[in-house]
Amino acid sequence: MTFAEQFRFNFLENSRWQFIVTGLKNTLLISLLAVIVGVVLGFLIAVVRSSHDKSGKFKILNFFCRIYLTVIRGTPAMVQLLIVYYVIFSSVAIDKTVTAVIAFGLNSAAYVAEIIRSGIMSIDEGQTEAGRSLGLNFSQTMRLIILPQAFKNVLPALGNEFIVLLKEISISGYIGLIDLTRGGDIIRSQTYEALFPLLAVAAIYLVLVMVLSWLVDRLERRLRVSER
Amino acid sequence: MSVDKSKVLIEVQGLEKSFKDNHVLRGITTNIYQGEVVVIIGPSGSGKSTFLRSLNLLEVPTGGRILFEGTDITDKKVDINRHRQKIGMVFQQFNLFPHKTVKENIMLAPVHLKLMTKEQAGARAEELLKRIGLPDKADSYPGQLSGGQKQRVAIARALAMNPDVMLFDEPTSALDPEMVGEVLEIMRELAMTGMTMVVVTHEMGFAREVGTRVLFIDDGVIQEENEPKEFFSNPQNPRLKDFLSKVL
Repeated sequence: MTFAEQFRFNFLENSRWQFIVTGLKNTLLISLLAVIVGVVLGFLIAVVRSSHDKSGKFKILNFFCRIYLTVIRGTPAMVQLLIVYYVIFSSVAIDKTVTAVIAFGLNSAAYVAEIIRSGIMSIDEGQTEAGRSLGLNFSQTMRLIILPQAFKNVLPALGNEFIVLLKEISISGYIGLIDLTRGGDIIRSQTYEALFPLLAVAAIYLVLVMVLSWLVDRLERRLRVSER
Repeated sequence: MSVDKSKVLIEVQGLEKSFKDNHVLRGITTNIYQGEVVVIIGPSGSGKSTFLRSLNLLEVPTGGRILFEGTDITDKKVDINRHRQKIGMVFQQFNLFPHKTVKENIMLAPVHLKLMTKEQAGARAEELLKRIGLPDKADSYPGQLSGGQKQRVAIARALAMNPDVMLFDEPTSALDPEMVGEVLEIMRELAMTGMTMVVVTHEMGFAREVGTRVLFIDDGVIQEENEPKEFFSNPQNPRLKDFLSKVL
């Protein structure tokens, strides 16, 4: 078969391209929602953990956060996904996309938490002291002085975490969800041709990651303007 | 303006501070009166910075009391943030907010604590920048300033809160020698306006000329205190004599 024929056979015949489109849509949707869950939850954990590190507050909360981080970071994302799907929601009729968002959001939160915490801890103690000496309370100092600087410092690491998350969602096929990877794989199973569908999937991932890196890069440069 | 001995601003009673086994402050008692410029000197590790930082509770004392304008601020029930608004502080390392412009640095606290509107705070910032000789730096970022300029902005930032007392923690120790003068000059002008100041420094010239009282702290206690002329010309404590012979 020529290149054009192969392309037609794999993607156009029986509208097989729709598997890729459906998969891409699911992958993007899950990424977006999981990032939101991950950032919100991760941020809260980071604030609890760094407040504890700095002032010894939130002893009990910090303890639970540490357990959470240990468990999430100590087990594979795929096992977590399977547990969320087959154990936690085994008796509940719940959309697979929601299951994936919860699993990947909870997973990402652990990594985001430690990234943000490292950002908070990287800001010189003098910044906190300056804020407090002016009469700002702890949360005002955090919000106005520490977090904006911390965020700027961890932006590259956060961008990296989002890239990892986007690609990690490729394991969603294991709960029968058609994500981008599974979409390509379905085509492969129908046509018995691996090259085209899988290369197409890989190329789409590559483009997504490049766009994401470019966006993070731009944001980073914009925030750096204030430095010099 | 002169010292008003009838008005005690800060009353320090038996102040103690220890870090684990390290007894840094071992009972300091003194009054700071309205209009005083109290200069604190002492060898490194003597506890002088810890003492200064205790006055606005950046270091929480492990014993004794501090009364600021009559209120015991070491009492856990007291809202320390409200009192800190009246106690300005200038740090050795400036601690300007690098992500904010000079003007935003000065405006931040008054605006967010709702003491001034944005317009009022902006006008106040410009007035202060003129006073410290940097009216053209309003929109610069701290990273674009020299050390001396940074410290002057830090002083302006503290003054924007209209504090009743200003604490200076070795304000010139991190500066290149040629920039020390400009910062001391601002502090001297501030003292002339009658501002109550507590200054930890190694600048003996400043202590002698601007100070109204000099404290010598060593081993966590005030070893000697006196008005500057007597203090430097006629020291009594052998440790102070030894210290002065090294630094003068």
